[in-house]
Amino acid sequence: MSTPVLEARDVSMVFGGLKALKGVTLTLEEGKIVGLIGPNGAGKTTFFNCLTGLYTPTTGQVLLKGNVLPGDPAKVTDAGVARTFQNIRLFPSMTVLENVMVGRHVRMKQGPLASLFHGPAYQRGEKAARERSRELLAFVGLNGVDDELSRNLPYGDQRRLEIARALATDPAVLLLDEPTAGMNPQETEATQQLIFRIRETGVSVVVIEHDIKFIFGLCDSVSVLVQGELLVEGSPAVVRADPRVVEAYLGKPPEEVQHDVEAAKGEQA
Amino acid sequence: MSTVAISEKRSALAPLGKPLAIAGGVLAVVAALLPWVTFSLNDGNWPDKSTLQFFDAPFLVTGFRWHMLLFGVFILVAALAPTPSRGRVLRALGWGTLAVSFINALYITIKGGGLGAITALDGEVAFGGVVGVVAGVLVILASYGIGIEPVADWKFKVSTPVAYLVLLVAFGGVLYAVAAMLTTGGVGASNPYAGAIFLSFLGFAGGVLAALSGVGLVRWISALSEEHRVFSVIVLAACALLLPFTDAGNEYWMTVAANIGIYAATAIGLNIVVGLAGLLDLGYVAFMGIGALVAANFSGAATAYFGFSLPFPVAAAIAAVVAGIFGAIVGSPTLRVRGDYLAIVTLAFGEIFTRSAQNDIGGFTNGSNAIPGIPALSLFGAEFNRSITIGPVKLPGGVLYYILIVLLVAATMAVFANLKFSRIGRAWIAIREDEDAARAMGIRTGKMKILAFLIGAMLAGLAGAVFAHKNGTVSYESFKFLESITLLAAVILGGMGSIPGAVLGASLLFVLPEKLRDFEEYRLMIFGLALILIMRFRPVGLIPDAHRRAEMAEKADENAEEAHVEARKA
Repeated sequence: MSTPVLEARDVSMVFGGLKALKGVTLTLEEGKIVGLIGPNGAGKTTFFNCLTGLYTPTTGQVLLKGNVLPGDPAKVTDAGVARTFQNIRLFPSMTVLENVMVGRHVRMKQGPLASLFHGPAYQRGEKAARERSRELLAFVGLNGVDDELSRNLPYGDQRRLEIARALATDPAVLLLDEPTAGMNPQETEATQQLIFRIRETGVSVVVIEHDIKFIFGLCDSVSVLVQGELLVEGSPAVVRADPRVVEAYLGKPPEEVQHDVEAAKGEQA
Repeated sequence: MSTVAISEKRSALAPLGKPLAIAGGVLAVVAALLPWVTFSLNDGNWPDKSTLQFFDAPFLVTGFRWHMLLFGVFILVAALAPTPSRGRVLRALGWGTLAVSFINALYITIKGGGLGAITALDGEVAFGGVVGVVAGVLVILASYGIGIEPVADWKFKVSTPVAYLVLLVAFGGVLYAVAAMLTTGGVGASNPYAGAIFLSFLGFAGGVLAALSGVGLVRWISALSEEHRVFSVIVLAACALLLPFTDAGNEYWMTVAANIGIYAATAIGLNIVVGLAGLLDLGYVAFMGIGALVAANFSGAATAYFGFSLPFPVAAAIAAVVAGIFGAIVGSPTLRVRGDYLAIVTLAFGEIFTRSAQNDIGGFTNGSNAIPGIPALSLFGAEFNRSITIGPVKLPGGVLYYILIVLLVAATMAVFANLKFSRIGRAWIAIREDEDAARAMGIRTGKMKILAFLIGAMLAGLAGAVFAHKNGTVSYESFKFLESITLLAAVILGGMGSIPGAVLGASLLFVLPEKLRDFEEYRLMIFGLALILIMRFRPVGLIPDAHRRAEMAEKADENAEEAHVEARKA
């Protein structure tokens, strides 16, 4: 078996007396989409923060292609893990294009002196970054808004811009924290297509989401987190069939839920 | 609530808008020709440029009367000719008329010992001031009657030669206005009325500028200069270098302008730290002090630490590097503290610098005796503080310093502009906007913040080195907390992250106190009042950064929309 692109081994996180994560293990194979679901407060975002170096796990480690990730978000991004945020965190008074170019920062080499003198090499680098950023904006479907302030974009476009900005760091792994929160069904569908296209470019994806239907339609494998513990892991079909998952979300499974799940199954078929 | 009140007032005034404006314009012209005082104010010697000497010569129109006359004509033109965003233009002109009338009338009342000075109570008729104030109020009411539309957007394009011509005229006008503003009312204490004349002139200039910007001209010209950026920069630099040839070309104003330039360069450095990276620095002037001290100690002055002198460029480079090192040291707490806490750290650093310098720590500062006798710079035997004569042209003393400092400011601007639009500048702005998101984008925020402090401090150190030679004395007194705050005020007043803003802010903050000298103990009060007024009406600064300007415009639109909805509900 090849080395997984991202691997979290037995990650625990303790805040004071609160055990937010208890030995969570997650494996992401190259070119796959993994979903992370769980009720509110299950520790999904905490787990994300451990993956991106914002938190250092109390025990356990996170490996990217077999190497332990450093405990600093900037270095983690440099190593090849990019993320978006649950509550959109763009740079509001920068333009759309500038936002994406900030994402290129880590792949550009100009130091202070080059930035000061704007020599030919600098100009080339800047031009390349601008072109790559435009490409990515077109890729996520944002055209003709390069010079708008990012705060002026509609909500769905801001989500897409955040993805473009994350992709600009040339990641091996993209972590999406609730990418469809607050979206209507059409936008959700478009996001799903976008994530498939991202996978086609060779980027592996981890998605946190509450929209179960979305997750089951999107992911190659789904992990369910409940109260800081990994409850179930497996293909959407396996997870969907697991009574513990339904119970974790809703308590006892009433008839309607069963019906809903079947309806979802029907839609995908 | 208030929006509803305004819309009601508008409806009541709407049919009266035009007649009121015409009446106001006529009254402004009349006021310009009426007598303004009932007694002779000028029993002493009057300097040539004084306008107040015409108070009792009713049909000679100069000085503020000339301004009133122009306002009257402008108002009539705006009311009768097809003017874009007429209400906005009239509002600006009305406030200008009101300001000029009020300032002069108030001054005459105070000097004349009561209202008798501006009415008929003393037996003679002198209603100029009262009529002027009424004219101003009428025009302001008229403008609300007509309604305040958004600033007009001029769409038409011009060919390059025409654009160049327009820009030349515009920048020439700016140069003329700057020279006029500096020289209005004469030099310092030589004219007892200088302060009032200056304030009145400021009212005139402000009114005209606001009217021009209301009609859309200012926006159009700035778009034009954006389009022809290189040409604009060259013309602007040429204008700056031409200042010595204008009325302001005497030693006094050269010195003031040079000092402004030094502080402007420092303010631009501070703008990197505060405006771009968003790190509040309350002890910034200490870096300028460090630069000045280093240059002073290498200057060969009698009390300098080193017994030898280095050539100025070398000393200036060392000054910049030393200041930069201290900048990096002060910046290092930014790795751990943010926001208000960082501000306190920088405040403490500023105090450490002042106290250490006061107590001559390390023997570098000569304590409260300062380091006097720093030799003036010279180039090919020409000392920078002497006047020079080239053929028939005699240039005032200090003109070489002035030129050196113009170059310094230009270089600082170039550094700022290049950094702002680069990978580093984007990283700084990203940190300012959202530090965690910036880190998630792979920006090493710690390094970048220290870099901002380092570069900002180097620019301040460089300015400090010039300061040392220009002033001849370096004392810790020049680098206290108040100076740091003044610099910060210059940055905020001009507009954070904006280059012309920092220069304008520094100019205002150092010219205003100079010009208001004749109000003596009221000087700082008037100064503070002026700052409050500016921040009330231009909260993002006088010349805001393009992005921030967009933000504000958007907020204004939102407000207008809300007002609209509310009005409909009511």
